[in-house]
Amino acid sequence: MRGLNLHRKKSPFVWLLEKEWRELVASRSWWILLLTMGPLVGVAFISAVRTYAELSGLNGTAAGVGEAFSPLIGVWAPTFSACEVAAAFLLPFVAIRAVGADRQTGALKLELQRPMPAAARITAKAIVLAAGWLAAFAAPLLAVLLWKSYGGALYAPELAAVAAGHLLNAGLTIALAAATASVAEHPSTAAILTLSVTVGTWILNFIAAVHGGAWERAAGYTPTAMVAEFQHGLVRLDVALTAVAFAAGGLVVAAIWMRIGTSIRRRVHESAALAAATAAVVFACTFATASWDLSESRGNSFSRADEAALRQLDKPLRLEVHLAPEDPRRFDLETRAISKLRRTVPSLQVRYVSATSTGLFEQTSAHYGEIWYELAGRKMVSRTTTVEGVLEAIYSLAGVAPPAESESDIFRGHPLAVPPRGAAAVFYGIWPAAVVAAAFVVRRSTA
Amino acid sequence: MPFHVSGLTKRYRHLTALDEVSFSIRRGEVLGLIGPNGSGKTTLFECLGGVLPADRGRVLEGDRTLTAGECRSRVFYLPDGIAPWPAQTVRWTLEFAAGFFAPGSSGRAADAVAPPSPADVVRDLDLAPLLDFAIGALSKGQRKRVLLAIGLLAPQPVLLADEPFDGLDLRQTRDVGRTLRAHAASGRTLLLSIHQIPDAARVCDRFVLLSGGRVCGEGTLAELSALAAARRTGTPGTGDLEDVFLALTES
Repeated sequence: MRGLNLHRKKSPFVWLLEKEWRELVASRSWWILLLTMGPLVGVAFISAVRTYAELSGLNGTAAGVGEAFSPLIGVWAPTFSACEVAAAFLLPFVAIRAVGADRQTGALKLELQRPMPAAARITAKAIVLAAGWLAAFAAPLLAVLLWKSYGGALYAPELAAVAAGHLLNAGLTIALAAATASVAEHPSTAAILTLSVTVGTWILNFIAAVHGGAWERAAGYTPTAMVAEFQHGLVRLDVALTAVAFAAGGLVVAAIWMRIGTSIRRRVHESAALAAATAAVVFACTFATASWDLSESRGNSFSRADEAALRQLDKPLRLEVHLAPEDPRRFDLETRAISKLRRTVPSLQVRYVSATSTGLFEQTSAHYGEIWYELAGRKMVSRTTTVEGVLEAIYSLAGVAPPAESESDIFRGHPLAVPPRGAAAVFYGIWPAAVVAAAFVVRRSTA
Repeated sequence: MPFHVSGLTKRYRHLTALDEVSFSIRRGEVLGLIGPNGSGKTTLFECLGGVLPADRGRVLEGDRTLTAGECRSRVFYLPDGIAPWPAQTVRWTLEFAAGFFAPGSSGRAADAVAPPSPADVVRDLDLAPLLDFAIGALSKGQRKRVLLAIGLLAPQPVLLADEPFDGLDLRQTRDVGRTLRAHAASGRTLLLSIHQIPDAARVCDRFVLLSGGRVCGEGTLAELSALAAARRTGTPGTGDLEDVFLALTES
């Protein structure tokens, strides 16, 4: 019989990493996450490619124009959205298992007797969980390879933005689940708490859509909103920093509550202090204004000529928008024009005015629907919510001629009228078979 | 250097689990902590092992009060009823224990004992046939022996083992008892929580009797027997630990 291998000299942290990895590959929850990722991504990818192909003229359908041919919006946003589903409903259980099992089995009581900072312990878990998530990320990467094999266009920066958004989202999920698993006595309580927070952010988005104002600003930092922006190729520094701050805060909470030898009162006090510190950091992060439009279509930006002209505005530009939060015109105005203005105009103040949330009963109000522009003491009113209308109003107020449209600025798109050949076999057949085989081999080799 | 536990107190809301518990541990001895169910044995071990915060009390080494960190570098606590890393094999678990708990450059007690050879521990606890089994697949007694191996591989000079014989058969109890005594002879200090009094009488040098969260006696069997006799005037000391235990815990 083979004896013990005691010649491996490793630091305690490396031992912990090895232990966490072995525990991860031993957990069924992670293998189920991997198994599910293939079909989840497959459904989204196949459906997206088919629609993209039809819009590109497949089977004699009329070809669309412009943004419809952007792989970012047409293929990658829906394909990677499978990761969002997995991060919300599968990843928390993997993370809760990784953190909660130590407490359930009593392993934590043994491990804590090795003097080591609690932060190091939770860091080891976070690293291994992140690695586990990266392994699951192989499914959307397979979709990228398939797309390339169809002759589809790839624009690396926008693809990187989408992937980064989902990695940040996974980081938030891992931190949240680790915190709840560490605080709660039982994994089921941790699961309920984690899902409650997730549902809570959805409720926040709903309230924001109804009430606007501060709710709307807060909802801009929820994981759903963050992922949506990254999926459009927009990387905002404030959103990314806020996500990192929340994730770090969650992991520190987990570290605090792992120290089961410390009194609960002290852990509560430390958690409260940490919550206050995190809130302060998050508040500071919201003042970061840098952002990058990594989409090939520059869908989050005005044309370069318009941007150059708008950056010349040296006086504050004020907008007073008389539209209710649920009015679709307000949504159009915000997403197509004002969000771009915020990234371009040096000094912009936007004020939404409405008496109701839907605007249905304000239509008879004389000023409802008006958008007031004010620049350097001059005012004008308009009702148009299109980008062109907004820019026209601003140029008119500033007394400058609209810049000429450059041909090179127009995104022509990348039509691809190719059906998703072989994708079903890859995601519904090969992927699950490969995961099952890998589970068998890896679990045997570590057992 | 002897350890002294002084005034250790732990309350759970309206229940006092430990009430001013004080006793001494001598280097290289096997000290038995004896008490009925609910007497506070596990709570005492968890407080000493640093996995449960005590409300009050100190651990002294000589005249010096130990900090929580110093206590952790001197005491290794082996809980009862745990099944750590159930998916991992015994082989990997022991390799992990030997590597992870190996004495580092920091936090090592001055009188840390050299951990025994893992091969010896495997042999003494008869773990060789179990090395390739997962912890979760083991019986209670087999798991207990693996846990004892982890404890013996830890470098801390004091080992607290909660119910080390629980789940073991008679032969295994005797073998494990012999192994523990051998480790004590090599300088390891053992504090064993045992509710089977005959097992305690066979293995331990001295005893601490715990009842209702209070220490009601500390000493060798002869000392405790004399104490019991003194409390029950007219009743001679029998020299039987069970009688002594009943006499002292009744009083």
